[in-house]
Amino acid sequence: MNADPKQPCSATNEAEPTATTTAMPVWLLSLMVTLLFLSAWYFDLYGGWFEPKVYAPYRSIAHVDGLQPRKSGEEWRSRGKVLYESNCALCHNPDGAGKPSQGPPLAGSEWVLTTGANRLIHIPLVGLAGPIKVKGQDWNLNMAAMGAMYTDQQLADLLSYVRNAWGNKAPVVTAEQVKQARVEIGNRSQAYTADELMKIAE
Amino acid sequence: MKSSSTVFLAAFIALSASWAGFVLVPQLQLGRADQAETVPSKDKYPIARPGLAAQGAEVYRSLGCVYCHSQQVGQQGVTVEVVLLDAGTNATTTLTAIGKVKLELNKPETLTGLPKQIAQVDDIAGSDALVKAITGVGGKVEVNVIPTGADISRGWGKRRTVAQDYIFDSVVQPGTRRAGPDLANVGSRLADPNWQLNHLYAPKSTVKDSTMPAYRFLFEKRKIGKIPSADALKLTGDSAPLAGYEIVPTEKAHALVAYLLSLRADAPLWESPVTPPPAAAPATNSVAAK
Repeated sequence: MNADPKQPCSATNEAEPTATTTAMPVWLLSLMVTLLFLSAWYFDLYGGWFEPKVYAPYRSIAHVDGLQPRKSGEEWRSRGKVLYESNCALCHNPDGAGKPSQGPPLAGSEWVLTTGANRLIHIPLVGLAGPIKVKGQDWNLNMAAMGAMYTDQQLADLLSYVRNAWGNKAPVVTAEQVKQARVEIGNRSQAYTADELMKIAE
Repeated sequence: MKSSSTVFLAAFIALSASWAGFVLVPQLQLGRADQAETVPSKDKYPIARPGLAAQGAEVYRSLGCVYCHSQQVGQQGVTVEVVLLDAGTNATTTLTAIGKVKLELNKPETLTGLPKQIAQVDDIAGSDALVKAITGVGGKVEVNVIPTGADISRGWGKRRTVAQDYIFDSVVQPGTRRAGPDLANVGSRLADPNWQLNHLYAPKSTVKDSTMPAYRFLFEKRKIGKIPSADALKLTGDSAPLAGYEIVPTEKAHALVAYLLSLRADAPLWESPVTPPPAAAPATNSVAAK
C-alpha cells in the first residue's frame, strides 16, 4: 500500500486508503474449492433437492416413494367404504350392525356371507320387500333399488366392502358378476321377497 | 466512500437471496397446503379443530404452555420389517425361494414360530425381492415401515411431524424447550379427558414427578349443592378438596383439554410414511365359519 513509515502521519495530506487488486493465495482458492465440493456432495446426499415432501431423515423423493405401502389389490375397500357410508350407512349403520326398524344387520348376516355373491347382488339392484329372517331375527321392511344407479364397478366395490368389513370375510364381488346379474334381472322393477331371493342361485 | 454502489448491491443480493430461500420459496411450496389424504386409507388429514378445541388453542397460547412443551417429533431413521405370516404349503420350496434372495435365511428356524419378523432392511425396495419370492410360492408376508429415533422411542409419536400437521394452526406453536414432554401426540397418548383435567388441577396426582405448575385458576372450588356437579373432578389424597366442597372445571379448562385431545399427529402421510398399528380385529364372520 502507500503507507510510508518515514513520513509523519498527517490527516490533511494523506489520501484515503483504497483497495487494490492482489492475486488470491493459491491455498485459499483451493480451500474454497474443496469446501464447495464437500458441501455440494453433502447436499447431494441429504439435500433432497429442496423437495417440499422430503424431510430428514429421508434423502430424496425416490427414497420416500420407496417406503410407501405397496398396492394391496384391495382398492375396492376404500372406494366401497365411501359409497357405503354415504348411502347405506343411514339405515344399516356405519358399523354394519343395522338399526331397529330401519335396516337389518349386514355384519355377520347369512344373506351377505354367501359363498357366491349373485343373490346378494340382486338385492340392491331391485330392492327387497316384506318379511325376512336375518341372524335369527325377523324383519319386515322395504328396501328400494338403492344400487341400480351405480356402475357395475361401483356396486362391486360397495358389495366387496360389505362382504369384508366389520369382521365379515367372503370372496370379493367383481364388476363382471354385477353385469351378469343385471342381465338376469332384465326389466323387473318389483322388489324381491325373501322367498323369491332364495330361488336365485347363490 | 468509493464503490458504495458495489457494497449496496452485494448486500442487497445477499439479503434478497436469503429472503427468497427462507421465506419466498417455502411459501410457494407449502403456503397453499390443504387437507391431504392419508396413506393408504385415504382419510382426510388433518381435520379442522372443533370450536371448543379451537378456543383451547388460544388458552394454550395465553398460558404460555409453548415455553415448556414442544409440539414436534423428530426422527433419526427408519426400518422396514418383513414379517412372515404364513409359510405356504411346502416348507422346503418356501425356504429355497427365501434362500435365493437372502442366503442366511435358508434354515428351518426361519419358518418356526410364525408370524415373525424375518428381515430388517432400510427401504421397501430392499424388501420387495423377498416379498415377491415368498408370495410366489404361496406364502403370506406383511411389510411394516417403522420410523426410529429418540422421540419415537420415548413414545411421543409414531413418526416425525411435517408441515401438513400444522396447516390448521393459526399460530404454529412447535416450541423450543422441553421442560415437559412433547405434546404433538398427546391426544392419542393420553386420551382420557378426566386424566387431563386432574393433571391440570394437581399435576402430581397423576404424574408423581411432574414439575408442571398446578393450573388451579382454571377450576372453581364450590360448595356442593343439593346435587353434586356432574363434571366435578374425582380427586383423592392431598389434592382432594375439603369435605362439602367440589372442584369444577371452568369453560377454559374444558377448552384447553379439548385442544390437547385434538393434538394427534400420527396419521400416516405420504411424506412421513409409517405402517399404522393393526386395528383391533373384530371377531371374524366368514363364509367358512357359517
